Amino acid sequence: MIEWLIDNWLKIAIPVLAFLATYVVGLWLRGVANNAFERWTARTRWEGSRLVVTVARRPFLYWVLLLGFCIAIQVSVLPPEVKGIIARVAGSLFALSLGWVIIVLSERLLKLYMPKIKAPQPTIALAINIVRITIIVIVALIVLDIWGVPTTPLLLLIGVAVLAAALALRNAAPNLFAGFQLSATQRVKVGDYIKLETGEEGYVTGISWSNTYIKALDESIIIIPNSRLLRDTIINYGRPLKKAEEPFHFHSRTHLTELTGLKAKNLRELVDILKQAPDGVIYYHTHHFLEQHHYLTPEPSNDFAIWVGDALGDEVLGERLASVDTFGFPNLGTLRERLVTIIEEYLSRSSNFREAMLGREFHFMKSVSVILPTSYVAHDLREFVEALRKIGLGSLYFHVFESRLRLVKGLNDFSTWLQDSLGETELGEEIARLDPYTYTLEGLRSALIQLIEKRIK
Amino acid sequence: MRISSYEPIVGRSAIEELRLLSTKLSGRVIQNINSTFTGGGVAEILSRMVPLLEQLGVDARWNTIKGSKQFFQVTKKFHNALHGRPDKVTKEDLSLFLETTQRNIEELKLYGDFIFVHDPQPVGLITKKKELGKKWVWRCHIDLSHPNQKVWNFLQPFVVQYDGAVFSAPAFSHALPIRQFLISPSIDPLSDKNKELDQPTIDSVLAKYAVPKDKPIITQISRFDYLKDPVGVIQAFELVRKSVDCRLVFAGGTASDDPESGKVLAEVRERAGDNPDIHILLIPPGSDIEINALQRASTVIVQKSHREGFGLTVTEALWKAKPVVASAVGGIPLQVKNKFTGLLSYGIEGTAYVIKQLLANPQYASWLGENGREHVRYNFLITRHLRDYLLLFLALDHPEDIIHL
Repeated sequence: MIEWLIDNWLKIAIPVLAFLATYVVGLWLRGVANNAFERWTARTRWEGSRLVVTVARRPFLYWVLLLGFCIAIQVSVLPPEVKGIIARVAGSLFALSLGWVIIVLSERLLKLYMPKIKAPQPTIALAINIVRITIIVIVALIVLDIWGVPTTPLLLLIGVAVLAAALALRNAAPNLFAGFQLSATQRVKVGDYIKLETGEEGYVTGISWSNTYIKALDESIIIIPNSRLLRDTIINYGRPLKKAEEPFHFHSRTHLTELTGLKAKNLRELVDILKQAPDGVIYYHTHHFLEQHHYLTPEPSNDFAIWVGDALGDEVLGERLASVDTFGFPNLGTLRERLVTIIEEYLSRSSNFREAMLGREFHFMKSVSVILPTSYVAHDLREFVEALRKIGLGSLYFHVFESRLRLVKGLNDFSTWLQDSLGETELGEEIARLDPYTYTLEGLRSALIQLIEKRIK
Repeated sequence: MRISSYEPIVGRSAIEELRLLSTKLSGRVIQNINSTFTGGGVAEILSRMVPLLEQLGVDARWNTIKGSKQFFQVTKKFHNALHGRPDKVTKEDLSLFLETTQRNIEELKLYGDFIFVHDPQPVGLITKKKELGKKWVWRCHIDLSHPNQKVWNFLQPFVVQYDGAVFSAPAFSHALPIRQFLISPSIDPLSDKNKELDQPTIDSVLAKYAVPKDKPIITQISRFDYLKDPVGVIQAFELVRKSVDCRLVFAGGTASDDPESGKVLAEVRERAGDNPDIHILLIPPGSDIEINALQRASTVIVQKSHREGFGLTVTEALWKAKPVVASAVGGIPLQVKNKFTGLLSYGIEGTAYVIKQLLANPQYASWLGENGREHVRYNFLITRHLRDYLLLFLALDHPEDIIHL
């Protein structure tokens, strides 16, 4: 054994020396490259430099060792076929480790930079996966090439697969790019209240790589392809406003008219029945025209005033009854008392015993109210005002008129919610001060929207 | 017709409201019962309401009672008597009515959770209530404001057994021990009778009936029935014609349950004589587009009825934004708010006077017409009618005045 070593020491020493020399040179090169890289990063102040150093430092050492090992083998006296196999193994190991380094580095750089352009989490994950797959495919092709496996058919196969994927994703691609563009331009952000020209609106709750999710006023989630957000005209009202302690659930009200079978043909009969009639009758005859003739400006007066003027031809009393300020009464009982007092005072001073002609009697009716939930819910002023634009007139009517007087809440529902749940005392009071009886329902809607928009601004 | 087709006309919230109300009647069957599937306002309304209720998910069905020609002659007498016209109703008539009612009680299957009986012909079916239970509603489509007491006293014992009665106008109600509701009938804005028509269609109908377009056209559309006062319309026209060059179109059809129409038509033709400006047109059933075209071609539309159920021809005219002159009878005052959505008149001279006013003041006529259209849009379209029916059934389940659903 010793003799063999003496005879062949050169055959062993040369590869060992070659290995050691490569290692030393490699270490020196790493030091030089590191210094040069740090000087460059100090000059450019690039945030990614630390990442590059951390990720590449250890693998660089392995690559130097691998290179030294390869050189040592090549200068050794091993048979050429063995040298060839070892070179392929070393080449494959290098390609695999280089691929791994590129993957790790790309992932860390993407994670560093994509949040800075406000890319949503799903988009970052998608980008990382694309980079990972691409590099794995390239490394696999290189390794196959090293081992002499023909790669042309595989390349063709990959080409076909990429083409198929591109065709499959041709609809998704515009949304994907739109997602990037939305992130870059900050046109829409999570938490913004947006309104599309096609009518969809609500708070943005999430942006994925292909779609944007908004919570509509009925609390449903609307999914909008990102490309539409770039293509369509959108109004972005910006960040959410102060949230209410309790959301406002809009209700609607509709009614059925119940006939009492009671009728009056003169003032005495009118006032006698008026004293006895249920509250629903007073409510009907002082309110139904608000809904039934809401398109007329000015709206007709209450039924008692119209009948006294038209059927009895008593315009003086008609005017007095028409001028009763319904808004000034906290409940139907006091309103009834006022109407009765006006007619009785008039009867005590007047000799009006006119009778309505046959067929023109006053027919007492009452309103059966049916209160229904709607799908609209508001958690803040923005949602509230946008719902106010959309609700039916029955809903507006219910919260402003019926709720205050018939349900004897004393205050309209909007003011109550604004004050109690949102702390908007001043706005609540402003709305409470509006006399809704002087507006048409559409006019009232506009006045409320104007007050709330002014407050939001 | 799809329920969603009405959304552009009445708005989204009105349709959403209907859908929501319908869910509250899920699993309940509404059985409508009247006397005919064709002819007259009731059949027309039901033929549209029933499919729409079904689309909303409400199980609505429709059956008719059977009766001989003599039975329908008796019920026609009832009809006239309830409208206040003196019409001799004999003991034999009442017996025939009761016999036919009994036969229908035996033959007709009554299966609804709500049994919705229309008009007097099937009113006697209520005697089955004791055995069946269920909720029964009597829907009266006619003007009961001044009924012949003999006939009303005969029918009232049936009516008071119902859980509720529905009338088309406040004046039709009586002091009854049951709940009474006001539900106006309605028109369908998408039906052939009310949909928009282009000018060539209108012109072709005028050409078909040989009505030239050379002068303002005054029109009354109604059945040939004494209660519609066709002769009064001709007299009013003749007064107008003295000072304004215009035409009169009196167009109408007949209903299968109205044996009197032919006689009235002959009288009207005789009264019109050979006046070239008076066009008496007998329109066959189903000619809805022709009626629509005649209304749209009119300058003023008249409804000079002595009695009227609701007066759907007035509703149709208002929907076409036409200035309307109508008698203050039946449901007409609900539709024609005097000087806001049309003009009310009381006599032949008064009718002639206001027609002349409208012909002389086209801007005022147009303002009235537009108001009338809006009034119909919110109060007399089929969607509002559907809503009231749904509310009616819900109200029968809830006796309180304020119902939280």
